[in-house]
Amino acid sequence: MSGPMTDKDRPILETRSLGKRFSIGTRFSAEGLRTVHAVDNVSLTVRRGETVGLVGESGCGKSTLARCLVRLYDISDGALLFEGDDITSKSLSELRPLRRRLQMVFQDPSASLNPRRRVGDLVAEPLRIHGKLSSREITARVAELFDLVGLLPDHVMRYPHEFSGGQRQRVGIARAIALNPDLVVLDEPVSALDVSVQAQIVNLLADLQEKLNLTYIFIAHDLSVVRQVSTRIAVMYLGSIVEEGPAEEVFAAPAHPYSQALISAVPVVETTPTGTRKRIILSGDVPSPLKPPSGCRFHPRCPIAVERCRTERPELREYRPGRKVACHFPTV
Amino acid sequence: MILSVRDLKVSFRTDAGLVRAIDGVSFDLGESEILGVVGESGSGKTVSLLAVMGLITDPNASIEGSIRYKGRELVGLPPRELRRLRGNEIAMIFQDPMTALTPVYTIGWQIAEQIRAHRSISKAKAMERVEELLAEVNFPNPHEAMSRYPHQLSGGMRQRAVIAMALSCNPALLVADEPTTALDVTVQAGILDLVRKLRATHKSAVVFITHDMGVVSELADRVMVMYAGRVVERGSRMELFSDPRHPYTRALLGSIPPLTGEKPRRLPAIPGSPPSLLRLPQGCAFGPRCPVHYEPCATSKPDLGIGTHAAACFRVAQA
Repeated sequence: MSGPMTDKDRPILETRSLGKRFSIGTRFSAEGLRTVHAVDNVSLTVRRGETVGLVGESGCGKSTLARCLVRLYDISDGALLFEGDDITSKSLSELRPLRRRLQMVFQDPSASLNPRRRVGDLVAEPLRIHGKLSSREITARVAELFDLVGLLPDHVMRYPHEFSGGQRQRVGIARAIALNPDLVVLDEPVSALDVSVQAQIVNLLADLQEKLNLTYIFIAHDLSVVRQVSTRIAVMYLGSIVEEGPAEEVFAAPAHPYSQALISAVPVVETTPTGTRKRIILSGDVPSPLKPPSGCRFHPRCPIAVERCRTERPELREYRPGRKVACHFPTV
Repeated sequence: MILSVRDLKVSFRTDAGLVRAIDGVSFDLGESEILGVVGESGSGKTVSLLAVMGLITDPNASIEGSIRYKGRELVGLPPRELRRLRGNEIAMIFQDPMTALTPVYTIGWQIAEQIRAHRSISKAKAMERVEELLAEVNFPNPHEAMSRYPHQLSGGMRQRAVIAMALSCNPALLVADEPTTALDVTVQAGILDLVRKLRATHKSAVVFITHDMGVVSELADRVMVMYAGRVVERGSRMELFSDPRHPYTRALLGSIPPLTGEKPRRLPAIPGSPPSLLRLPQGCAFGPRCPVHYEPCATSKPDLGIGTHAAACFRVAQA
């Protein structure tokens, strides 16, 4: 190997053929006991300091994958490594010291904040559980966190309902960063916010990443927001990654027909007469993960599918350093 | 003119005080025209359209102003008369198709019921029409789809079924309230395409409510931007997007991350959050968040004025 590996190149999180299966129904229900492969054979490497954006239609498994990455779900297949350490089947007590380093921010801040407790108290909770701080130190740290996320010092005494959506999400973020985590998984953190407030939170996340040297895994259905915050993008379809690469490159020149359709479908503000941008409209819906199609899972909706796509499933392979695609006929 | 709304005001009496949801909204809509209404939550975009549909039944609500449909005044019209119009000449599509469909009947039955409520035709004839409608909204297998229950369809297909229902009586006016917000972008693209196509074939005028500037720019002929219960800017699609005048419109357009080209290091964000409708500022509602506000903005509310492209802002009036 040439030269020493720098801290930046070392993966902080790595999945090897990770899979998550759910059982549906019972042996006694009409269709019997069935299995859904919500996440199927995902190998993803996340390096320190970067933001990996996960995109795809609803039901593609991006949220399930995110929850597997912080071990909120048990992993069915494959392996999950945190700083090279296999944490796939660690017990809850073994995971505890790791929890402070892997945090999560959820979509709906009002659902993740206890309405009957003051927000200062909510932000202090992780410090009390994991830290060895005195109550005075906790108060000081809470004040520091409020300042970091752009809340006023006297907000600590308020209840969640007294805040606007944007402010509540700031509280959610303060909680997530309270223990100085290394990696934060953000599951649709701006989707529930008003358009005029989204940009504030996107900027806040960027500032915090820089200040605290955070690594993000960012999930959102708004593709322009994902592009803005992500260094790398992974496009998911029916539980698997179909394309991966640097954010700007993937958006400028998507290689997989699915990514092309997805990106072309985003409505953008145009001042030219309509119809200048080429749009690929996919026929049909996302197939049920209970009965995934044979071969390439995208073939029933793919505009360029041929016989081979029906029978042979394409592997996700690197066709250029940093660019991966799972398609027999990628646009490269 | 299909629809003509003048100085519409809607307020609700609540325990916390009077909520002014709509404070003087006026607009016109011509035949087969698509009007895009953009705004954030609480801007009054939904309430103004509920008022048009006569769907505000809250006894604590007060509705003032005039809503004329083909010259006929709708404010104060008896519920019986309104019911004759609704679903027949005026149809509505909501954000969540699941709330617009009953889970216990097949979609074929539900659409046929709608047709038979307004037209005296036989059940068999109605069912034939349902099949045509489902084919028109791109159901791959319309005959089979008729016997499906809503839960057996995907979100996009359910929304298509609701659109088929809305179109069943050839409405002159179609009101769509965030019909694509709950859908994936790929499905949204198909629905927008469908709305464009239907405007051409059915000659319906469409009011399309959304918070997504991109959707408006792809669909609408004319655009109305709302903030805190008032229209802050209106204009044709070209006027509004190539020459946005109101500071709110400009800021909103500026805060959308670009999909191509250079990524800005930081997004130009709008500070603060939308005001509470219970405690609106005395002057311009956007004043406290506005980068260019000055003395007059704090004391009085700017008028929208006249003209096809207009902005309710003292700075714009001054320039």
